[in-house]
Amino acid sequence: MLNRRQFIGTSAAGLFLPRAGQALAADWSGTEAEAKGQTVYFNAWAGSEPINAYIGWAAGEMKSRFGITVEHVKITDTAEVVKRVRDEVAAGKRDGSVDLVWINGENFSLMKKGKLLFGPFSETLPNYRYVDVDGKPTTRQDFAESVDGLESPWGMAQLTFFADGARVADPPRGMKALLAFAKANPGRVTYPAPPDFHGTTFLKQVMLEQAVDRNALYRDPVDAQVRPESFSFLDDLHPHCWRAGKQFPKSQAEVTQMVADGELLVGLTFNPNEPANLVAAGTMPATTVAWQHEKGTIGNTHFVAIPVNARARAGAEVLANFLLSPQAQARKNDIKIWGDPTVLAVEKLSAEDQAAFASAAAPGSVSLPGPALLEPRASWVPLIEKAWLSRYGNG
Amino acid sequence: MRTLATLPLAVVLLLPLLASLLFILPGVADLDSFRALANHPQFWGALALSLATGLASTAGSLVLALGIIFAAKGKHLSSRAGLFLAVPHVSFAIGLAFLIMPAGLLARAVALAAGWTMPPQWVTTQDPWGLALAAALVLKETPFLVWAFASLLAREDLAAGFAGQRAVARSLGHGEASTFLRVIVPQLLPQALGPLIAVLAYGMTVVDMALVIGPTQPPTLAQLAWTDLSDAEPATVARGAAGVLVLCAVVAAILAAASVVLIFSRTHLHRFYAASPRHGAGHGGAAWLLWPALLAIYVAVAAVLLLQSVAAQWPFPYLLPNVSTLHAWTQLLSDPRPVMTSMALALSTTAFAVGATVIWLEWAPRATDRAMNLSALAAVTIPMLLIALGEYRAFLALDLTGTAVALWTAHAVPVCAYVFLLLARPYRAYGTQWAVVAAGLQQGRARFLWRVKWPMLKGPVWAAAAVGFAVSVGQYVPAQLAAAGRFSTLPMEAVTLSSGGNRPLLAVYGIALMALPLGAFLIAARAGRSRWSAP
Repeated sequence: MLNRRQFIGTSAAGLFLPRAGQALAADWSGTEAEAKGQTVYFNAWAGSEPINAYIGWAAGEMKSRFGITVEHVKITDTAEVVKRVRDEVAAGKRDGSVDLVWINGENFSLMKKGKLLFGPFSETLPNYRYVDVDGKPTTRQDFAESVDGLESPWGMAQLTFFADGARVADPPRGMKALLAFAKANPGRVTYPAPPDFHGTTFLKQVMLEQAVDRNALYRDPVDAQVRPESFSFLDDLHPHCWRAGKQFPKSQAEVTQMVADGELLVGLTFNPNEPANLVAAGTMPATTVAWQHEKGTIGNTHFVAIPVNARARAGAEVLANFLLSPQAQARKNDIKIWGDPTVLAVEKLSAEDQAAFASAAAPGSVSLPGPALLEPRASWVPLIEKAWLSRYGNG
Repeated sequence: MRTLATLPLAVVLLLPLLASLLFILPGVADLDSFRALANHPQFWGALALSLATGLASTAGSLVLALGIIFAAKGKHLSSRAGLFLAVPHVSFAIGLAFLIMPAGLLARAVALAAGWTMPPQWVTTQDPWGLALAAALVLKETPFLVWAFASLLAREDLAAGFAGQRAVARSLGHGEASTFLRVIVPQLLPQALGPLIAVLAYGMTVVDMALVIGPTQPPTLAQLAWTDLSDAEPATVARGAAGVLVLCAVVAAILAAASVVLIFSRTHLHRFYAASPRHGAGHGGAAWLLWPALLAIYVAVAAVLLLQSVAAQWPFPYLLPNVSTLHAWTQLLSDPRPVMTSMALALSTTAFAVGATVIWLEWAPRATDRAMNLSALAAVTIPMLLIALGEYRAFLALDLTGTAVALWTAHAVPVCAYVFLLLARPYRAYGTQWAVVAAGLQQGRARFLWRVKWPMLKGPVWAAAAVGFAVSVGQYVPAQLAAAGRFSTLPMEAVTLSSGGNRPLLAVYGIALMALPLGAFLIAARAGRSRWSAP
């Protein structure tokens, strides 16, 4: 049936593929061997106890399975790390202080453009084959910036709102509804001041919902400015906000605390399971509800990346691969542990692994989900932040 | 030998300070970053806010401190004021915020009485005028000034003079308040110029307190600069550095303006000094209330922090937590490394600073005192942000970031500066007659130092050591930059863990940051008691 040419082709492919696989496997065992005994400095935001505990667990596993020591370098803001790596590279420091960094969005785009990242490495990690690249396109497009194998996906995020259901009977599932809600409850709604990550995301969500031409936000800004009409919605909203929109809380954490105190009625988070975590921790009551906007909220993926001057590059790759493993992803997915949604295509996994991902809905889980919207291009971020400051920066 | 004695302090204090300035000053020529700063939408508002909070907090704490000193009527306050100093600014701000914020304890007390179920919409923290920030600064700086004034008044070489002058003024018909204002204060203020400048510089450049309790639209200039400095874009970082330089220039300009005002108001002041005893001097009625009130606020702040540290659930408007837990405490204790690192750094830098200062004061040529005094004053008054940035760049150039040497130096610079400033005067004021007596008794210098001079100076040495220890424990910005993630100290851990806003953790670290220096002050107060009292 096969003609000669096809035969050669298939046999060649047949011969070639296993070899490539073997070569990869050999490479990987080489990487693992090189990594043994290394110390990996994993720079990761440390403002959440469950996350720190999870990283602590991963460090323990790395030690016992691969003989790699993982030090969690606790940071407050990933921009610190971008700056440190840039300074080190500029100073010609080859054995940099960062081996792996938790990153995405603007910081990734800056590091990519500054040629501060090692790679491509992620798509050849053995566990990458489980990643849901089709179902979760943001695993390859980080804020509309092509990942190009320079960072390895770690978890999924989607802008989610939450409130005490006993106080908010009918959650506002869109910006227009939020405006009506704010009018009915003056002074009880707000968002964190940009450049706080969540504050900036709130602005992007407003722009996406209000935009005449949404596609423009997925291209680089044309004349490097945000049109004032983009702010008409905020002009309407602010007078009904906390402190009449003349002051804003400094961080998402502060907003969450104020919601827990009852000073505010609506909180926001990028982790859809954070409200359930807050209920479990006792910070929020069991009557907590979480929701996403009907027409969708911004969703993205967070990653880990290896700086170009990392000292323990092999160790960092082994850690990135472990973080992608079904076992590590399932544990991370568990609301009782962290509740960070997986980047894997669970249906690609063995039945046993799949079972590990099944978890019962907990109080505070998202009850009204919406589709995930792609992040606007990272180059919009500084423009949006600057325009917001000019307009509202002085009360 | 004599110049050799200048070496330890010169290497650890002068050298890093100069290197730091050397790496920063080229930034002055970077006009683009200044232009970018001036174009920042919040720049002018932020500058005005920094000026207002800096000046208001300096004036406020000066008035309160003088009131407290007056009301103490010569009683010794410095050791008690020292305990207040042990409370870190940021811990104090966190505790104070939870007292006065809309969901805070005071509001809860009102809510229980009035039947509110939601926190009121009070503007008690993060007010647009920075009043809460200024108030927090006043409450925190007042004990520092009280301590500075009280130590001056207690100085043996001055105390007798003051007593005599008081008697003279009294016989001329001046009441207590009039004597204090016309005789004591004019002598006190010039002597306390250093602490006053430090209060002004701190108030203008504080970041951590402003983050907890200050406004955002606009923030203070120091906050604005700090946000810029933490940015990933090099141009934004340069704009932040320009912001810090502007802040320094503003502090210098205020000092210049203040001296001009003083010179031109001299005749005015003289008229006031020479006026009748009754004129412009009340009897200082409620001044006695100030010290107990301040004490009460500090006790309340400490109590709030303690309560929060164990509160698992504390919904509005309850006055006590519903569910309590030691979870945050176990978290602190589960990884003792940051505490250990902070302790080791504080102990070693303090020991070094005390040793190096004593060596300098005992053996270095007196002519070099002035230079060291100036550089120590510079290290204390130049905003920490600026020095930290310069040090970071210097460490980077020397490939020292992330090393123990860099971390230690970043701590040692301010510790040496404070210890030198505190120890120089009492050490220099030490009477030469004791050496004469010892020489007369045919005792060698070493024996005299060990058996006579140093034991007599034990008080000031221990006091300086306690302050040095506290300064070391409180270092954040320079240490964080120098450590490059290789080391974690208590304040670094506190800041990173609290970026998630977990209140019990925030409180636990606030208490831990307070407990270490407090311990040092208590030990110093006990160990520094004089073995034999000087005449």
